[in-house]
Amino acid sequence: MKIYDLFKSDGEINMTEEFPFEISPMFEGERVRKDDMYVELAGPKSKGFELVRAVPPEESINPVEDGKFTLIGPDLSEMEEGERYPLAMIYRISGELVEPDIESIVERRNHDFQNYLQGVMHLNQRHDIWLRVSKEAVNKGLDSFEHIARATMMLFKSELPFIEDIEAIYITDMGEVEKELEDAVKVYDARDERTRDLHEEDVDVFYGCTLCQSFAPTNVCVITPDRVALCGAINWFDGRAAAKVDPEGPQFVIEKGETIDEFSGEYAGVNELAKSLSSGEYDRIKLHSFFEYPHTSCGCFEVVGFYIPEVDGIGWIDRDYSGNAPNGLPFSTMAGQTGGGKQVVGFLGVGVNYFRSPKFIQADGGWSRVVWMPKHLKDKVSESIPEEIADKIATEEDASDIQSLDAFLRDQNHPITERWAEESEEEAEITSQTKEEVESESMSMPQTGGFPSAGMIQPSQMQVPQSSGSGVKITLKNTKISIDRLVIKKKE
Amino acid sequence: MTKVIAVTGKGGTGKTAITTLLIRYLTNKDNLVLAVDADPDTNLPETLGCNVEKTVGDIREYMLSERDNLPPDINKESILESKVYEVINEMPGYDLLVMGRPEGPGCYCYVNNLLRGIMERLVENYDIVILDTAAGLEHFSRKLIHDVDDLIVVTDGSRRGLQTAERIRDLVDELDTHVGNVYVVANKVNSSNREKLKELAIDLDLELIGTVPVDEEIANRDLVGTPLFDLPESSAALNEVNAIAKRLGL
Repeated sequence: MKIYDLFKSDGEINMTEEFPFEISPMFEGERVRKDDMYVELAGPKSKGFELVRAVPPEESINPVEDGKFTLIGPDLSEMEEGERYPLAMIYRISGELVEPDIESIVERRNHDFQNYLQGVMHLNQRHDIWLRVSKEAVNKGLDSFEHIARATMMLFKSELPFIEDIEAIYITDMGEVEKELEDAVKVYDARDERTRDLHEEDVDVFYGCTLCQSFAPTNVCVITPDRVALCGAINWFDGRAAAKVDPEGPQFVIEKGETIDEFSGEYAGVNELAKSLSSGEYDRIKLHSFFEYPHTSCGCFEVVGFYIPEVDGIGWIDRDYSGNAPNGLPFSTMAGQTGGGKQVVGFLGVGVNYFRSPKFIQADGGWSRVVWMPKHLKDKVSESIPEEIADKIATEEDASDIQSLDAFLRDQNHPITERWAEESEEEAEITSQTKEEVESESMSMPQTGGFPSAGMIQPSQMQVPQSSGSGVKITLKNTKISIDRLVIKKKE
Repeated sequence: MTKVIAVTGKGGTGKTAITTLLIRYLTNKDNLVLAVDADPDTNLPETLGCNVEKTVGDIREYMLSERDNLPPDINKESILESKVYEVINEMPGYDLLVMGRPEGPGCYCYVNNLLRGIMERLVENYDIVILDTAAGLEHFSRKLIHDVDDLIVVTDGSRRGLQTAERIRDLVDELDTHVGNVYVVANKVNSSNREKLKELAIDLDLELIGTVPVDEEIANRDLVGTPLFDLPESSAALNEVNAIAKRLGL
């Protein structure tokens, strides 16, 4: 029997006569309990994997023989009821449009298709697959893996018509499974390498998420290959998977649209979405900017970045760090300032994985702008920190306040100190007794260091942690200030 | 259609004992049951006589701590589903799922959203789902279970106990969860307070569906920590719970 015999002339699938089980999406989610199972295959207590390999159509030595099924090891009928066996499922596919890049997408469908088979439960993926076949299915005639393989191949060809030829190799012999598993893991690793290399410029769509909107109503969470969701839980691939299953669900497609500025991460599609999601409150978002039109911050973010004006650098503090940052504030206080779905210049919530992004706040100097982070966070992302700066970023072991941070940065010759030099051309001194716009000790300028160039921060938007001080003296030395508009109000 | 029953009540009222005996009744009637221990102070495995190693709470933490180490394009829902299936205790006639520890700090929005979908599909595999849940009903506010047919509030034989039942009934109205019926079962009742309790229930407009007598055997087993699932047929408490189940149409 050839696989294409299963299709009627009009393309409809002719299945009920061919298989000893029913095939329907309605069996998805069907659980085969231990009491009802004939055998368990692979799973947490055994071994196995599933793998799809693309074979070039011109392959001459070992071409794909369409519809062929090979079994290495015992068949279902030779297995003992109630027992557990290893299982590997390898599909070789070929076709004009079949490229290695689609292997993982095709492989993922094995889970769907096998769950369409009544009496077959398929869980998980790759080398974590876990299957059970029910007693009832075996009693109805499911006595060979060939039925499962043929039904699966038929579904592959009918649902993914770019597959022109397909063959299946199933392995139930432990020694063979273990041998092939090594190769499979190499394939998975190589794939992961490729997916990690996916960037904003390689895709046409990003994903948005509104899970946080119940408490951060204007939050606009944008998930790109270079930017994980603020909560850290959802990456671009998760967004893609969820949006495909339920396009109306909490994760949805954002058309990237025109690229306004690739470096700072400004895209027309994101701006449009920002406008609608925030009810008009925000109309620009730069995905990789800290100071200008930054991403909104929900409240779920794992890490909050905070500007330290005294050293013109950015510090980061995460939820698990219970102490204070050099500015004297703990995570909870700064998170409270930042959260709620607002664009808060001077603070930015991110997911831990954003530190691993090659575009990490690149509009504002990336890692060379980072001056402080808790040690355990720094260790966690150490592989992504450029070697030349790694030792120059302070942790709580190096600096506990602004003074010690300043000293550390000087001592280590942190690149931020070069910015200080540039800004030291002019000198200005401002003394203020007003406590309206600037109201925190963390904003009081020390004798050292420089104020950032004014175009970079927007004082009217800059939110500063509140404290109960009665007046603040601000001394700015060696500073250039250009101001578009300055409003000083009397306290009412 | 799967029927969902939730048993709730303050700690010490005996809600877990009642849940256990209801599960026994249901499995004896050949229903396929999913028992869910949704009380962070997990007791149901012990009264059923199951040995539980891992809980949904553990998996949730695993997903939070491991997610950055997972391959980027791996399907997290599929991993989570598999892990949930791993922690299901498969007992003769019923499965037991323990929710376990409550959430820590951090954001659980995404993982809970995935769990909702998984629970929805899982629940459909059973004739009856029965939840043992704390009085705060957190799992409902998180919508992990969104429809409940019967909510049974277990109270002890006191006025305060019934007032708690009244509060829980009012709390139900504030939840998004759809709850079909709210019933009250008074536990550890004796002949001197039975009639008084019935009157009180009427005063508070509560539907008292049963009064379970004080049972020496349960008290003894609770003391040494042996299961309640195999109580002798002669147990007075067991017989009243069976009668309650019949009144509920189970």
